[in-house]
Amino acid sequence: MTSSHPTVSLPDYREQEPAVAERFRKLKERPVVLRVRGLGKSFASPEGRVTALEGLNFDVHRREFLCVIGQSGCGKSTLIRILSGLEQPTSGELLLDGKAVHGPGPDRGMVFQSYTLFPWLSVKENVMFGPKMAGRTGPSVESEARQWIEMVGLSDFENAYPFQLSGGMKQRVAIARALANQPRILLMDEPFGALDAQTRAQMQDYLLQIWKNIDVTILFITHDLDEAVYLADRILVLKAKPGRIDEIIEVPVPRPRSLDQSILPAYLATKKRISEMIHPREQHHKEMLHIPRLTVAGDEIE
Amino acid sequence: MAWFSTQMNETSCGTPWLAVRRDLGPRRSSFLTFLSFFGPVAVWCLVSYCPFIWHPDIKLQFAANREDVNTTFSAGDRVSRDYFPEFQAAVRNQNEAVRKRGEAGESFTSRENKKILRQVVPIALANGWISGDQEKDDAVIYDLWRALGTGEKVSDRPVLTAENLAIARENWDAMKSVSSVYDPANYPSKPFLQMIPQGVGSNPDFLPAPHEVLIMGWKEFQRQTDPNQPSMTERLFHSVRIVFLGFFIACLIALPLGVLCGTYELFSKLFEPFTDFFRYMPAPAFSTLLVALFAANDAPKVSLVVLGTLFQMVLVISKTTRLLDVSLLEAAQTLGANQRQLVTRVVIPGTMPNLYNDLRILLGWAWTWLVIAELIGVKSGLTELIETQGRWRNFDRVFPVIILIGLLGFFTDQVLSWLHRYLFPYAEGNQNRKPGLVGRIIRFLGSLADDRLPPEAGIRSTGPLPRAHSTVSATEKPIP
Repeated sequence: MTSSHPTVSLPDYREQEPAVAERFRKLKERPVVLRVRGLGKSFASPEGRVTALEGLNFDVHRREFLCVIGQSGCGKSTLIRILSGLEQPTSGELLLDGKAVHGPGPDRGMVFQSYTLFPWLSVKENVMFGPKMAGRTGPSVESEARQWIEMVGLSDFENAYPFQLSGGMKQRVAIARALANQPRILLMDEPFGALDAQTRAQMQDYLLQIWKNIDVTILFITHDLDEAVYLADRILVLKAKPGRIDEIIEVPVPRPRSLDQSILPAYLATKKRISEMIHPREQHHKEMLHIPRLTVAGDEIE
Repeated sequence: MAWFSTQMNETSCGTPWLAVRRDLGPRRSSFLTFLSFFGPVAVWCLVSYCPFIWHPDIKLQFAANREDVNTTFSAGDRVSRDYFPEFQAAVRNQNEAVRKRGEAGESFTSRENKKILRQVVPIALANGWISGDQEKDDAVIYDLWRALGTGEKVSDRPVLTAENLAIARENWDAMKSVSSVYDPANYPSKPFLQMIPQGVGSNPDFLPAPHEVLIMGWKEFQRQTDPNQPSMTERLFHSVRIVFLGFFIACLIALPLGVLCGTYELFSKLFEPFTDFFRYMPAPAFSTLLVALFAANDAPKVSLVVLGTLFQMVLVISKTTRLLDVSLLEAAQTLGANQRQLVTRVVIPGTMPNLYNDLRILLGWAWTWLVIAELIGVKSGLTELIETQGRWRNFDRVFPVIILIGLLGFFTDQVLSWLHRYLFPYAEGNQNRKPGLVGRIIRFLGSLADDRLPPEAGIRSTGPLPRAHSTVSATEKPIP
């Protein structure tokens, strides 16, 4: 530590309490929902071929909450778009429950950062969209949709149009809409990135509650360290240029999670480790701007 | 605290009238809307009813014959302000000469004198003294001069000048000395004088006054035209039919094509370049071709409207379709929509509010082709009226038709714009308006239509919703 600030000594982020270790053991015994093998993606660009992702291998177990984190441009979004089927990988394969998948499908639900609710459909109709695409009709679809809406706490808004909802409410509808298809895995691409801090914290809580009660596996992309540590079982850290897996971290913070845990040594150690990976020390020196001095007053501000 | 309260008022009054992209509030908006119509009408009224603004012409209330020129004027004709005094002076000089000839003992034939006396006819007609079928009745005219000359009848419109009243008396004196009633056998031969023409300031005939246009428009609808000619209402429906039929056919072709072009690169690249080229060819250029193709009934007219709107429509619709947020399509795909469903469940409903507005604008386009379309082949509808009356310079009959076309287009658009609010309550611009009764009825009908889908279409057996651990296997303890 070269810093002159007072520091606390943190434990190794790999140290796990027995209960946590037991949880991870059980988690890894569960069947693999999503298996990624040798996944790569490269684009043709004017400067030649650019490799966005290279040699990605990882498994997501049933009912696991996996966060993907990395600095901007590391290919997080490309990865989730490939997983959802909206883009095709240039190499490797993608197995859902052991079967290769190509192209988008209702077995992989997706929640986007931009609100992608259909503006011409009411909340209920939005949630019914997936089942209707599958050819289902009748009152059962509607009552199911009502239940999903109730689950995200928006029963009073089932006939509202998306424009009548706040950002956080829209994302709750988007989650309900994705879950209504009963997907094997829920892919979430920085879903709370556009929300203010307070709403985001609230949404994280909602999401954990939903995940606890619904049989769903979640792969969640974020660039927010706290969000990742707070939500995830494991955190997949991506390294940029080309996008590769740096490390898959098992979060040693016990569940159920709460905001109070953010001062636990295990929490801080995990956060510090990821922070170091995403912002390596050699890049960390402060860039000095060449600003002419334009003030005489307030010399002592720093 | 009077100072304070004025400050408050200014802020509560809202923004200044000139504020970049700021709302003026409902009251100011309605006031300005009123003004935007009232303004032009007020200008028209001012120009029409305030003689000192323009009025470059004199509209003759009655005329006179000049022997030295070939041009003859009659009541209702317009002459320029410069020419009018010259005209009057010429008639005065002519009267002087006639008087001298009379004193010299010259006489006029009864035919010449009768012709001079007919000068009184427009005055009598304007005052309602005689009916139209009496205007050539020399006995009646003879009596009219008696009434004017003795002062028994006084003309209100026009009020005769002292000079003209003197002429009337002078003429009557000459008539009376021969016979006080009309007697063809004993007709005066002393040369009669002509009254000096009178007139009022007026605008040129191409700018009739508002009331003239209104009255003429009203009459036009009342008038029982001869059975060989269509009535005004029939003409109107004929024109409306051409516009709407043309527009409807264009929609039938352009809507699917435009949506396809906006959705699939294949159709876009296949159709749009040629459409883009074709739309620069003016539709009227094809008029003779259309007549040759479809003969001379309504078909070539309708097809001109189609030709004039179709190509723009395809391009506008494809462009609007392309504006749909791609992320909505991606979301739909992750929800399991197939290619066909993407078009029917996302592209079409998603672009509908904007397409509707496009079509509103394009209906305006269709209206602009109306006059040209109706000139093709056999002239018909409202345009025939504009054409023929315009040629006779009856602009007071042309204006009502032009205004009528404008009003029709405007109100159609207003109704459609009002409907947009109810059909697409979620669309931008409609979001803060409350759906009224009509809106709720439309939504209700829409929900009925939605339920009409085949009920048995592939129902999947639906278990209870996987709530609260229900589908987590028993061996697997739920994650706390």
